[in-house]
Amino acid sequence: MSHEYVPEIATSRDGKEHEVQGWQGDFYGGKLGFWLFMLTEVMMFGAMFLVLTYYFSLHHADFLEASSELNRVLGGTNTVILLISALTMGLGLLKMRNGDVKGAKLMIWATILLALIFLGIKAVEWTHEYQHGVFLGLDALQSGNAHSKPLGQILFFGMYFTMTGLHGFHIIIGIGLMLWLLKRINAGKVTTEHHILHFNIALYWDLVHLIWVFVFPYFYMIGAGDIAGGVINAH
Amino acid sequence: MSKTYFDETHCAIGHPKSTFMQWMLTVDHKRIGLMYAAVIFTFFFVAVAVAFTMRLELFSPGQQFLDPDTYNQAFTLHGVIMVFLFIIPGIPAVFGNIVMPLMIGAKDVSFPRLNWFTFWLYIFGALIALSSLWTGNGFADTGWTFYAPYSLNTNTNVITTLVAAFVLGMASILTGLNFLVTIHRLRAPGMDFFKMPLFVWGIYATAWIQLLATPVVGITLILAILEKTFGIGIFDPSKGGDPVLFEHLFWIYSHPAVYLMILPAFGIMSEIIPVFSRREVFGYRTIALSSAAIAGIGYLVWGHHLFTSGMSDLAKVIFSFLTFLVAIPTGIKFYDWVATMYKGKIILSVPMLWALGTMITFVIGGLTGVTIAMVGADIHLQDTYYTVAHFHYAMLGGVVFLFFAGLHYWFPLVTGKMYPEGKAKLAFYLNFIGFNVLWFPMFIAGYLGMPRRYFDYLPEFEIYHRIAFFGAIIFIVGLVYMFYVLIQAWKNGEASGTNPWHATTLEWHLPSSPPPLENHTKVPYVDFRPYEYHHGEPVVKFDYKTMKRID
Amino acid sequence: MLTNYKTLKAGYYKVLIGLLVLTTVTFVQPHMFLTGHIFATQIFIGLAKAWIILMYYMHLKGEVLIGKTVIFSVALVTFFFLVVVIDVEHFQFKDASYIASHEQSDVSHATSHED
Repeated sequence: MSHEYVPEIATSRDGKEHEVQGWQGDFYGGKLGFWLFMLTEVMMFGAMFLVLTYYFSLHHADFLEASSELNRVLGGTNTVILLISALTMGLGLLKMRNGDVKGAKLMIWATILLALIFLGIKAVEWTHEYQHGVFLGLDALQSGNAHSKPLGQILFFGMYFTMTGLHGFHIIIGIGLMLWLLKRINAGKVTTEHHILHFNIALYWDLVHLIWVFVFPYFYMIGAGDIAGGVINAH
Repeated sequence: MSKTYFDETHCAIGHPKSTFMQWMLTVDHKRIGLMYAAVIFTFFFVAVAVAFTMRLELFSPGQQFLDPDTYNQAFTLHGVIMVFLFIIPGIPAVFGNIVMPLMIGAKDVSFPRLNWFTFWLYIFGALIALSSLWTGNGFADTGWTFYAPYSLNTNTNVITTLVAAFVLGMASILTGLNFLVTIHRLRAPGMDFFKMPLFVWGIYATAWIQLLATPVVGITLILAILEKTFGIGIFDPSKGGDPVLFEHLFWIYSHPAVYLMILPAFGIMSEIIPVFSRREVFGYRTIALSSAAIAGIGYLVWGHHLFTSGMSDLAKVIFSFLTFLVAIPTGIKFYDWVATMYKGKIILSVPMLWALGTMITFVIGGLTGVTIAMVGADIHLQDTYYTVAHFHYAMLGGVVFLFFAGLHYWFPLVTGKMYPEGKAKLAFYLNFIGFNVLWFPMFIAGYLGMPRRYFDYLPEFEIYHRIAFFGAIIFIVGLVYMFYVLIQAWKNGEASGTNPWHATTLEWHLPSSPPPLENHTKVPYVDFRPYEYHHGEPVVKFDYKTMKRID
Repeated sequence: MLTNYKTLKAGYYKVLIGLLVLTTVTFVQPHMFLTGHIFATQIFIGLAKAWIILMYYMHLKGEVLIGKTVIFSVALVTFFFLVVVIDVEHFQFKDASYIASHEQSDVSHATSHED
């Protein structure tokens, strides 16, 4: 059990004593490990943004056109919701560190609620798109039929559903992690003195928010420029 | 008789009484490494058998007993097993786990339960991959590189293999993560980065590649799965997608992956050379930093796999230059190793034989890589047997030979026994001769135009395939014999003692052989360099009860 | 118990306000300033938000080792971006390629092509 761990002492030849860092009870190690895991997420989403940029270079105008079709109001609302959820998550951690376990749990619940609202709005968006015939597997996103969109737009929407889908998947995982965190707090395994799990889950939530900070403008805002004379005037 | 790590263990869940469950649930890095070894080498022999089947088919032109589609599945299976199940987990999973914590004076890795979970994740991924042999339309037939658009259109079990590769990639990432935190946090007091053994440097550089490169192929595989399932369009030309983008993404991981394979192997070389030259290693700092340089520059060279794909000329030139650049730190290592041997007292024990043999075969592999880094030469040699011979010399004659060297070097540490030297030497020579007879003719065949992954060929190439076949027979006899000798030695061999090689690094300063569960009796204070020899004998001596220096 | 609880809490709220301001800028920018360079400006605003989140919400300020690893990874991804975008910008076979030759800026319509 990590709570009963007593570190070893190593003595150098001049008699000085040095505490040995063991793998148990290593807060910094836990933090480092989780940051390294988050770097893998950066590489993963980074590669997806790379794919997006590749096709943005190849199909510039199509991308702007497709972007203008997205619902900026819903997307923007989600941006604000996620932003506030990052606050509630951070405040939850702060309260835990301060000894206010009840307040911490309340904040975690608030974060979960906001996350669910985010998913709900996303579902509304996707349903709208589906009803307009724009969805994976439907004609508009296949090539060579009467409803086919131009190639660049097919690629835009393909990546849109993929990236917002994967991001949403990470939100669902986040909700799962937060529920598990509440369980561990109730079981007394996460406390003011031992809260590395809470710390790391808060970091995870910040990462999910961070990804959206780039997903939102790249998909929703690039086509927000004014349309003059049938030609999109942007970039 | 004191207890060893075979007698007692820590478990992830509960305190099971049965030996079997103790192995299934163990979190001890030494046992986990051993289990990886058992599974990995089993897969190795499966893939060797598949390769031998291919060599049999290719003995003469025309069809022998495999039809062309099955042949395609065979080389895909061989590649997937060798790359994802054998060589990428390879040395890190076995010796990174068993030896690295011992070398830094730690009691285990930073996250032992994660280590346990990772092992079973690897098993899970392996099972998914192998299951596709018996379901649906059989194993994938795309080659282990899964290039679009063929991988999108074929109806063999591509998705299953992609899922398996993703799971295996996760296992690789978690191993790298565990090792990175371990090396940063758990070094013995006094051991700063430039007092670590060079094998640890190798594992460290490898872990960075495992961590940062693997996610890129992870998402590539997911995108390919989504492409096959939902038709998102990104790799499908009929929707405007670009198959060359798939190649970019795939090789952004798969090239650093080869450095992931060789860096731990170079680490093993750096351990063996000083011990069997009875000298401090020459250029310790340069070798250490060259590992970091290879890892760093290795991320930047992937485009040399795309020279014939339609990539822009500007990009080709950039990648050719960077590929030449990455050969330099490797060259530096070789010069440092040779300089270490100069005026040393060379002891030609079996590990040293393997290391020296590798110097020959890897130099051939490396230099032929530089040949095809030249864009002009590559136009002719890409996708021929020249390339195949190059990467087998580098991976088999480099990584795997050094893996075998490590097996022979650390065998007494892990098992407490010693193998018969004469028989192990015979095994080496069979392997070395067989390997070269198998692979060298392929350079010539490739240069003369023999394409890779071809089921059939023109009669003018028959002689090369025939010679290679006989090399394969000798090589396989050597492989089987080598493992036979080692397994027999484990069962019936003589006790080896704790430091039969009179080496200096910490894994040899354990109180018993095999090691006890908790490794060193006490963590020592490290105020010495890793390879201090004086007149051929180790300088640092310990009292094994207190782990205090008594020299 | 934290002695500087109130300061830390105020800090969280300050960051929130900052991020909300930047989000508002995100919305109005395409109509108000740098309207000819929407993509670059949006990404720049995103980077500013990311910086604030990393430094203050994720407590990266003051972390030496972790900070270096983040910089290294981001630099790596940036290199991948640069090279791949350079490659596609110099696409030699653009005129002959099916995937590159269908630029359309009109409203979407059916695209049937005989090859």
